[in-house]
Amino acid sequence: MRKFLVLLAAAMLCKAAFAATIEMDVNGLVCAFCAQGIEKTLRKFPATADVVVSLEKKLVAVSTRDGQDIADEELKRALTNSGYSVKAIRREDESLADVRARLKANP
Amino acid sequence: MLYSFPVRAMTALLILALNVPAAAKPIAFANGTTIMAEYGAGSMEEVQAFYAPWYWLSLGAGSLRLDSDEMHRTRDIDYLRANYLVRRWNLEDAQANVFVWGGLGMASGSDFRGHTIDREAGFQADYETRRVYASVMSDLHESSAYSHRIDTLQLGFAPYAHDYTDLATWFVLQARTYTGRLHRGVESAALIRLFKGGAWIEAGVTNDGKPQLMAMFNF
Repeated sequence: MRKFLVLLAAAMLCKAAFAATIEMDVNGLVCAFCAQGIEKTLRKFPATADVVVSLEKKLVAVSTRDGQDIADEELKRALTNSGYSVKAIRREDESLADVRARLKANP
Repeated sequence: MLYSFPVRAMTALLILALNVPAAAKPIAFANGTTIMAEYGAGSMEEVQAFYAPWYWLSLGAGSLRLDSDEMHRTRDIDYLRANYLVRRWNLEDAQANVFVWGGLGMASGSDFRGHTIDREAGFQADYETRRVYASVMSDLHESSAYSHRIDTLQLGFAPYAHDYTDLATWFVLQARTYTGRLHRGVESAALIRLFKGGAWIEAGVTNDGKPQLMAMFNF
């Protein structure tokens, strides 16, 4: 039982550390210039692979390079320093391509 | 004035062309550059370029030409200006901002000799959702030879809610007044505004039947 819990904890830590996509709910996202500024800021992180911004869903999603991650605090600071308010940050298994497809299918 | 307005406007447009695709707000985003050119119905023409090191501050320069409909008085002002975001409200479906700015420049005009130092101060308050837009702006220029203020109110609505990769379309109604005997009465205009990515184009016509045009690029 103890081994199982250790493995489970390790798996959860791995998921947190190497999640495919980081999604952020952001307030104040109303125009393309807002999105442009946020995208430009997030692409400066060496760990960033790609960025998707949805004004409709008030969502900013970042995929990271293999084995790399961006800490929540860094993401929050980046968006705050861009002039926006981050409501929530979560890590998803879904790839950014799937996020993009989901947003396109269900705008 | 080192250059005439057409030369400066052409230079600005050339810069724009070279940078494509490289509220109207005086600060677009942190580490962003904004270039703007406006033709205001024969009453005013302005070009501006700003760089924002932070989302709350931008620094830059501009050139403003005013043509009075009273005695065909003209005024040319080249200025350096700082824009400061006083307050931003990030709401779930909206954003509101209050900006102020101040600057110094050199001016020449048809109603005074030589050059004079121009002092500029202004503010803008705006509220924007993806379907509704409102802004009020006031821009004061003063020198030993003149004092004038341009006040602008804009109300806009979008026929559809755009997303980042979409072409955004806005219909905007504008009312503008000039003090300092530059223009009599209220100049109103109906405008269509289109933007996608970092490019913004606005065109319309005033109640006098004169064109109003604006282009802005952020990169």
